[in-house]
Order: sequence, then structure tokens, then C-alpha cells
Amino acid sequence: MKIILLFLSAALVNNFVLRYFLGICPFLGVTGRIESAVAMGFATTFVMTLTAAIIWFIDYFILFPFHLFFLEYVAAILVIASLVQFLEMFIHKSSPTLYRALGIYLPLITTNCSIFFLALLIPLRGYNFVQSVIFGFGAGMGFTLVMFIMAGIREELDFADVPKPLQGAAITLILAGLLALAFMGFTGLITA
Amino acid sequence: MNLILISVITMGGLGALFAFILSIANVKFKIEEDPKIEKILEALPGANCGGCGYASCRNFAEEIAKGGASVNACVVGGESVAQEIAKIMGVELKLTEKRVAFVHCKAHNGEKMKKAEYEGIKECGAADIILGADLACYYGCLGYGDCEDACLFDAITMVDGLPEIDITKCTGCGNCMKACPRNLISLEVLNKDVQYKIACASLDKGKRAREVCLKSCIGCGICEKVCPFDACHMKNGLPYIDERNCQACGVCAQKCPRNVIIEMGMNEWMGERVK
Repeated sequence: MKIILLFLSAALVNNFVLRYFLGICPFLGVTGRIESAVAMGFATTFVMTLTAAIIWFIDYFILFPFHLFFLEYVAAILVIASLVQFLEMFIHKSSPTLYRALGIYLPLITTNCSIFFLALLIPLRGYNFVQSVIFGFGAGMGFTLVMFIMAGIREELDFADVPKPLQGAAITLILAGLLALAFMGFTGLITA
Repeated sequence: MNLILISVITMGGLGALFAFILSIANVKFKIEEDPKIEKILEALPGANCGGCGYASCRNFAEEIAKGGASVNACVVGGESVAQEIAKIMGVELKLTEKRVAFVHCKAHNGEKMKKAEYEGIKECGAADIILGADLACYYGCLGYGDCEDACLFDAITMVDGLPEIDITKCTGCGNCMKACPRNLISLEVLNKDVQYKIACASLDKGKRAREVCLKSCIGCGICEKVCPFDACHMKNGLPYIDERNCQACGVCAQKCPRNVIIEMGMNEWMGERVK
């Protein structure tokens, strides 16, 4: 039960994009089409889940026993960069179309602040291994969900009659703000 | 000292471990590529302008290697690049035509009337949002040079509030076309010695067009009447020249009371090129 609550908390209540305002660049950059937005979401989920698992091991078996707290950041960057590089090779091999659709945003997962935030949050919250992985997976699924919602609305927006001064970036930012307001509705659902 | 040693060993060890995993992955996920792609990519200008219709020079090279795109579709490289790619692909090349940007406005500062003082952002995009800022004409060139900034090839210079296009440098990539908020720039195909183009985009009625600008098309339709080949037609108060019928006699340009029909063509380009 606690695991489910943790998952829901990471995915909905404390959604990384709309609650903490992390990972805004792919949120605004790749949400033009549902297909690429969802692909980006799953790619990020993959990196997040694995990062959570690996960083937990590195933290509790290497860094903390040797009191190397100051190396947390470097270790996180190392893990994320390697994972993204691996993911890029994998996608390039398995789906060149998806690789081209994601374009520059794929290597940019490296600098996605939500993943870095996740890596730093795990030792702070004191999760055990299973909780860390669930937390990472939940955060990733929350990210995917928000990407999907945003891409869906923006696809509909192509056919809407938007006033000229609001076209493009302006209406996208307004949308993001409204979505964040809507997600405020989840606050208080779970206190975690 | 001990701390430094431990840090170096742990981080170095982690780095080496990840490098090892990645190098294995690199071998395992290796992608067989057509060697032609690299060669074509080297022959291309590499500006990634998108003029060919593909996202980058690399996409374009991949398409050519696959046989999906024609070897002369790179508008930037023109003939020389097309010839080189044709050699790589082992195909014969037909003579290409030239696409250049053309500005559908002719009014310099002083010739277009002002309706206000404008002290906002000096950018066409910004000025267009507030109904053209100080410019009285709703269709004409705002003159802040967004196109000049967008040009990657240094082919556009702003002269007296009007972009001047150097057609020897223009590669037809269409970046300026996208940059112009008033859609005043179009890509025109040069495939005849002499061609005639309309250098005004005003859809205003004659009286207002005359009031706001000295170099405006007033929609009088004289060009349509004098054309002996049925090539010039009025649409929405602006003439359109049908290239299929136009014999380049130049009567329309001579008879136009506002001098908005301009002569250009391969002659100009070839002439400039010989120089």
C-alpha cells in the first residue's frame, strides 16, 4: 500500500514538471506531436528508473561508507551521462525514425534537471532500494503523463483560432500554467 | 591525503566501469552505414539551412544515398555541389535552375508614409504585431531587417529601409522568407533569360495605396490590358504573371504607371557570375 502511495505521490501529487517546475525544456520542446512526446517520456522514465537504482547502490555502498558526500553530484552526473549515451545507442539501433524525431532532445536528457533532482533527492528522503526504484519510476511516469497531456492539447491547438499576439510560445506557456493549476487539485490527496 | 586517494579511486573506478559498459554497447549496437553518406555529407555546404526540405544536411545525404532525393535538390550548393554529388552517386546531371529570394516591396524610407512615431523594439516581428508600428502601409516592408539577420550567406543588406538581395550570394534556402512577418519575400525560380516580377504586395484600393506609398501598385490593371500574350492577370487588385505564357516582351514594365514591375532573370545572374 505504501509503495502504491509513493508511486502516486511521485507521479501526480508531487509531479516533477508541474509541482517542482523541473524538466521544462523537453516539456515545452518536444510536445509538438504526441508520438515523440510519449517516446521522450518513456526514454526519460527509463533513465530515471535506472538512475534511481544505480545511484542508490553508489550512494549506500561507495560514497557514504567512505564519507564522500561531496562526490554525490559528480557521481550523479556520471551515471546519468552514461545511461543517456547507452540509451542513445540503443534507440539509434532499434528505431532510427524515433531517433530522428527526438533529435537534439535525446542527448539533452543528460541535462534534464528532473533526473538530477531525483538522484539528489533519494539520499535526502532516506528511501530503501525498492522505494528508490518505485520513486524514480513514478516520477518518470508522471513526466510521461504530463508530456502526453501537453502534446495532446498542443495538437488540438493547431486547429484552434489563437489570437495573433498569443500564437506560438505565449499560448504554450499559458497552457503550462493552466496545467500546473489543474495539478494543484491533487495537493492533499496524499501527505508525503 | 587519504580522502583524495579514495575519491580518485572510486570516481576513476566508476568512470572506467561505465566506459567499459559503453564500449561493449558501442560494438553491439554498431550501425552499418552506407559509405556514400559520409562522402555526400562532405560535398554538401553543411549549413543545415533546410532549403532542400530535409531537417539537416545529414538527413538529406541519407535520402540521396537511398535514392529518395534528387542529387540537385541542394539549393545552397547549386550546380557545383550537384555535380559533385552526381559523381559520387554515379548519375548524369541535368542543368539546374536557380532559385532566389525576391522582395515584393520597392519602397525605401521616404517613399513609404509614416502614420506614427515608433520607439519600440526595432524588429519586424515586433512591429508587425502592433499593426506595423509606424508604417502606414499594411502590406509593405517594415524595414527593420529581420531578413538580413536570418540570412546565413550574407546576401541581404538593408539599404534605406529595404532589403537588397545579392542574387549571386543568394542560395535560395528560404530563411529570409520564413523570417519576414509580412510574407513579402518569396522564392522565385529563374529559368529564363529575362523575367518580370511584381515588387508590391499591397491589396489596398488605389486611393489608399497612393496615399500611403509612392511605389505602390494601385491595381489599375493596365499591365493586364497591354499584355499581348495573356500572361498578366489581376487577382485581388494585384497583377500575377503567368510564367508559362510570358514571352518577356517587357511591355507591362514599361506601361506600369507606378513602376512596380521589375526585370530580373538568368541574364542578371549569369552576368554577375561571369564578372
